[in-house]
Amino acid sequence: MSSRFITSLMAVALLTTVARGAAPKPTVQSIGDQVMCLCGCVATLNHCPHLNCATQAEMRAAIGKEIAAGKDETAILQDLAIQYGVQVLAAPPKKGFNLTVWILPGIGLLAGLAVAIVLVRRWHAPSAPASAAAPPVDAELLAAVEEEIKTSGLGPKE
Amino acid sequence: MIEVGSLALIGALAFALCAIIAGAVGGKLRSARVVKSAERATLAFAAMITVAVVALEYLILTDNFHAAYVAEHSNRDLQTFYKVAVLWSGQEGSLLFWTWLLAMYSALVVLLNRKKNRQLMPYVVAVLMGVGTFFSGITFFVANPFQELSLSSASGLRPFSPADGNGLNPLLQYHSMVIHPPMLYLGYVGMAVPFAFAMAALITRQLGDNWIRTTRRWTMVPWMLLGLGIILGGNWAYAVLGWGGYWGWDPVENASLLPWLSGTAFLHSVMIQEKRGMLKVWNVVLVITTFFLSIFGTFLTRSGIVSSVHAFAQSNIGPVFAVFLAIIVFFSLTLLFLRLDHLKSENKLDSVISRESGFLFNNWILLALVFAVLWGTLFPLISKAVQGQTVTVGAPFFNKTAIPMGLLLLFLTGAGPLLAWRKTSFQSLKRNFTVPLAVALVTGVVLFAAGVRHLYAWMTLFLSAFVAVCVLGEFWKGARTRMRTAGENFALAVYNLTMRNTRRYGGYVVHLGIVLLFIGFAGLAFKADIKGDMRPGDLLRVKDYLLRCDDLVSGETPNYEYVRALITVTKDGHAFTTMHPEKRFYKASQQPTSYVAIHPGLAEDLYVVLAGMDQDSGKAIVQAFVNPLVVWVWIGGFVVFLGTLLALVPSRVEREMATIRPGHEMAVQSDDVI
Repeated sequence: MSSRFITSLMAVALLTTVARGAAPKPTVQSIGDQVMCLCGCVATLNHCPHLNCATQAEMRAAIGKEIAAGKDETAILQDLAIQYGVQVLAAPPKKGFNLTVWILPGIGLLAGLAVAIVLVRRWHAPSAPASAAAPPVDAELLAAVEEEIKTSGLGPKE
Repeated sequence: MIEVGSLALIGALAFALCAIIAGAVGGKLRSARVVKSAERATLAFAAMITVAVVALEYLILTDNFHAAYVAEHSNRDLQTFYKVAVLWSGQEGSLLFWTWLLAMYSALVVLLNRKKNRQLMPYVVAVLMGVGTFFSGITFFVANPFQELSLSSASGLRPFSPADGNGLNPLLQYHSMVIHPPMLYLGYVGMAVPFAFAMAALITRQLGDNWIRTTRRWTMVPWMLLGLGIILGGNWAYAVLGWGGYWGWDPVENASLLPWLSGTAFLHSVMIQEKRGMLKVWNVVLVITTFFLSIFGTFLTRSGIVSSVHAFAQSNIGPVFAVFLAIIVFFSLTLLFLRLDHLKSENKLDSVISRESGFLFNNWILLALVFAVLWGTLFPLISKAVQGQTVTVGAPFFNKTAIPMGLLLLFLTGAGPLLAWRKTSFQSLKRNFTVPLAVALVTGVVLFAAGVRHLYAWMTLFLSAFVAVCVLGEFWKGARTRMRTAGENFALAVYNLTMRNTRRYGGYVVHLGIVLLFIGFAGLAFKADIKGDMRPGDLLRVKDYLLRCDDLVSGETPNYEYVRALITVTKDGHAFTTMHPEKRFYKASQQPTSYVAIHPGLAEDLYVVLAGMDQDSGKAIVQAFVNPLVVWVWIGGFVVFLGTLLALVPSRVEREMATIRPGHEMAVQSDDVI
């Protein structure tokens, strides 16, 4: 059974790897999800709700030119950050102080895991005999259960 | 009526202060008479705030533009339906509304606990009215909705009433926007009740299971309403903002998600305390965190410290809120620290593979998610303070951090309930997991063969299959046993099974709703869109749909002018539907907005936006989206709501116990899910 289980896991891992696929070619739409429209709408280029937004049109044209020049996604985003300032990026670049925004959630996750593991180890009591492990019975509750069994007719016949 | 509203507010403030003093003194002296006074003062506070709300609604509905708030947020031609919603559309009104909801919750707590929790009640009332004092105080002194308009003249100030008001923000003139804020606020405000019980338990040292059992329902109700509010907000964004999506990781959206996540953690970990007497400190921490995040969410929405497409009311109330948040943290953590000795665990963990561990890991992911979302939301402020640089933290960051954690949570949604309390054997693991894992693997292979190459979408659907089989399997196993032992048919067996333990099976329904939500999220990976200029006769193709613009018509209503595109859609050469997207221009507020045309379907939505008109060519700018599986987000949200309602219904066993032992509250049942 365990070898079948390992085979299954390997199949999942393989599928996951294959599913990752190659990086698709950038489009104005794909870049538009990663940069902010600077018209003041506080939305990405694709989500700008403004009617006939001139800023959006100008930025889309700039991205179109970069794609036509054959640049990849990273290069296009770098050029846009140079042209409009770093706030144009919908997520900060992974360098300097901005790196902390990317790594702290991961550190938080790992720290939480470490705490959870420590707690589990600390709370984990060695197995005790069944009689010792049994929780104390609330006498009042026990009486209520017996009463319920009696009234429901499920108890032994008297 | 303006004077009535103002007087009611000051009266409410006075009663709230009385309730705090009487509650604290009555609790300390153990005087039933003084405690009764505190409770009556709470009811009087509720009555006064209700008078203030009625006064403001009266001013709005009668178009009294002498009231500055009404002139700012309403106009004569606004539909009555939306006029009612003006109450919570602006800063001052929404804070009054917040206070009123708190007053209603507080009154309900007092009325439902006249014979229960008598030791806790004095302090519960004092804490609730502490919060009430803050909100009624801020409503009266800082953001008063009963201010009058006046003009200065040579003879001094004289009253002024404009002929019409500025009107309601057009983005808010949408049906789900009328229900969304009240639901969200009911969620935020309701978290004050478990917080008040937790503080009362700490003050009185009554830290057994009683406060936990009492607050479980008081937490589930606001949690359910907050979730519903979030879904309705997504529905509003989808139908009104016109960008084809429902969640953009906007700071205000994040602010509503945070208390929902920590509340979810609490609703799970509370079971460990009920069942095993463990995680006592952690549960208090979670209650404090959830309440803090609720107030923080209100602060974020109302203070304007972060930019948001959802922040419709901003002012300078930020510093006052910051001080209040600091008081909450200081007061609650100090109390917690002083009572640590009373919060010792009663039991140890029997096995690493157990329901307890499952809940612990569920809490780990949920809290890590809270941290990631909070950190990303606040980072622009931190960056500005530290490096003087304005940065944006938007969807790309949140998708990269939150999606993997979300997938882990999805896995635990299915796996957690299959683990037994105390210890799960390997045999039991094998028995419970084999079928769900096999079905998930088959689903994964089929999806891959069908061309699904998007990693996250593939994993989401794979895990969704796993969780759905896990949950449905629980219903199947239970029903099969009843069919065998009681001779019931399948439907009756499922019904009886569910009603015998509503908490457990309601929880399973919630988990199924979460699966449906995730299936809806997975659809985002396959969306397609196109934008084009159209005049009558022009065609536009998106995936299998061909859109033909038949006509462009313009007109007006008393409230707005509009341009409407009449679009006929064919799919694979066959007539499919007609759609009428609109661009509206609201007269009073002088603001444009889109009225999106949506043709919903179980597989995909066709979503058409009239983005604008090209002034030079006279063509309509039309954007069309094909959004797969979106409808499952709304269905999933509704199922979560229904499941929570079900879990709130007392089970047959509970009702039977209550008749045997009046006043008895059932201990946690062995396999409860929420």
